[in-house]
Amino acid sequence: MIEETIRVEGGRVLATLTRLTGSLDRAEDALGDAVLVALERWPVEGVPRNPAAWLTTVARRKALDHLRREAQRDDREALAVHELAVHELADASDEPLPWGVVEDDLLRLVFTCCHPALAPSARVALALRLLCGLTTEEIARAFLEPSATIGQRIARAKAKIAAAGIPYRVPEAADLPERLDAVLAVVYVLFTTGHHSPMGDALQRVDLAREAIRLARLLVELLPHEPECVGLLALLLSAHARSHGRVDELGQPRLLADADRSRWDRDAITEAVTLTGQALRAGSPGPYQLQAAISCLHSVAPSVAATDWPQIVLLYDLLLARLPTLAVRVNRAVAVAEVDGPAAGLALLDALRDERGAQTWHLFHAVRADLLRRVGAKVQAAEAYRQALACEPNAVDRRFLEVRLGEVG
Amino acid sequence: MPQFIALIYEPATARISPDNPQFASYMQAYNEFGAVAGHAIRGGAALDVPQHATTIHVEGGREGRVVMTDGPFAEGKEFLGGFYILEAEDLDAAVALARHIPAAWRDGGRVEIRPSMPGM
Repeated sequence: MIEETIRVEGGRVLATLTRLTGSLDRAEDALGDAVLVALERWPVEGVPRNPAAWLTTVARRKALDHLRREAQRDDREALAVHELAVHELADASDEPLPWGVVEDDLLRLVFTCCHPALAPSARVALALRLLCGLTTEEIARAFLEPSATIGQRIARAKAKIAAAGIPYRVPEAADLPERLDAVLAVVYVLFTTGHHSPMGDALQRVDLAREAIRLARLLVELLPHEPECVGLLALLLSAHARSHGRVDELGQPRLLADADRSRWDRDAITEAVTLTGQALRAGSPGPYQLQAAISCLHSVAPSVAATDWPQIVLLYDLLLARLPTLAVRVNRAVAVAEVDGPAAGLALLDALRDERGAQTWHLFHAVRADLLRRVGAKVQAAEAYRQALACEPNAVDRRFLEVRLGEVG
Repeated sequence: MPQFIALIYEPATARISPDNPQFASYMQAYNEFGAVAGHAIRGGAALDVPQHATTIHVEGGREGRVVMTDGPFAEGKEFLGGFYILEAEDLDAAVALARHIPAAWRDGGRVEIRPSMPGM
């Protein structure tokens, strides 16, 4: 519980400390020190009413001590560099920071992590580490890559931020649209990592999904007239609104068909629908808006049978023209199967078999297995379920696939 | 008098950072060069390592959009055509200037931005 609080608040505290100390490394060190104090004292004294403010104050004092010690050792030039940070740290108040200041700090950190001068693969890893407090090991599991590779990628990105002079601020208005793509992509990946864990024991990590939604909201506040920004928030709200009851009492994932739709968050769905309409009226439907529209059609439908599948296929056609990825094609095949029957969906999937990434993606095999099952091709369906299991999905998906395999095998 | 630019290439393993105790002897040899050629040296700078480089290209001509990539420029048919030393507050400010260098927006051109070596 305490670890959880620290992780949830950590990103915000780190963002403020980076501004105060002028260095990401110093901020991380100070936060690390403060966390050690918290782990020692909170179990005894209880979690403070405002954990973020508590952590910020303790970390700020730690950073100040550290800088003063460093300054005593160092030559005068180094002292001059530190002087600014010492002033910032010493002058900062112990009072909790006003909400707007914290949010501004957080946005700065988001844009720093997503700077286009950093390798795209490093941006997401860095954001998961700094904004969501995931460990290198957790990120490595999410990306199915060795922990050492992820560690190196993060260390390199941090070294480059410091050495290359990547600024810690929200870019000028003129540069914002250019920078936005990278930021939206990172928030989207943060969400999907939380919404559907690529690996591990749980199907979803609600805290990560919530953090992504908070960030998407901040971006909409920053750029209220950017349709893709609004589209992303709508997409995340609609998808997250359906997260209740995604896993049943036995730990099995509940399919959309079996979902208890009364447990879905109606307020979030209403907001998502309103935002999607608002974004689409701007007349430039980008990938996030289209995905939001698709997600909303699922969220407002009374059942799978009563879902507006023809409209969903149409939206996937538009999406495919802008985002011709394997995932979009597989999802479109699912929608086509609902309109024209499972055989039509299967034909589309079979055409994707040689696409890069298809064979190692459990969902490709799982969708194919389901359609094969529905056309009565039990032997082929069993083979496809086995292929899906061979891709090592998360534990919940694995159990589901095993049950289905048992039914057809 | 004609001017010549001497470009310095060294293996990645040869670079020693200023906080390494061996840095002084690494630099000593450069200082000796300075003593020999000082009368002719008109300028120069030490560059930070290529891992800290950013390469930019302005897509769609002079007024187009800046595309940044992490890392140094990998030479192909292009050749090193010159250099500027730019003073700028941070990388964004440096890019805002460097995007106007014709090689950044002319077909096939690229501009690599490297910080100067820290502590020098």
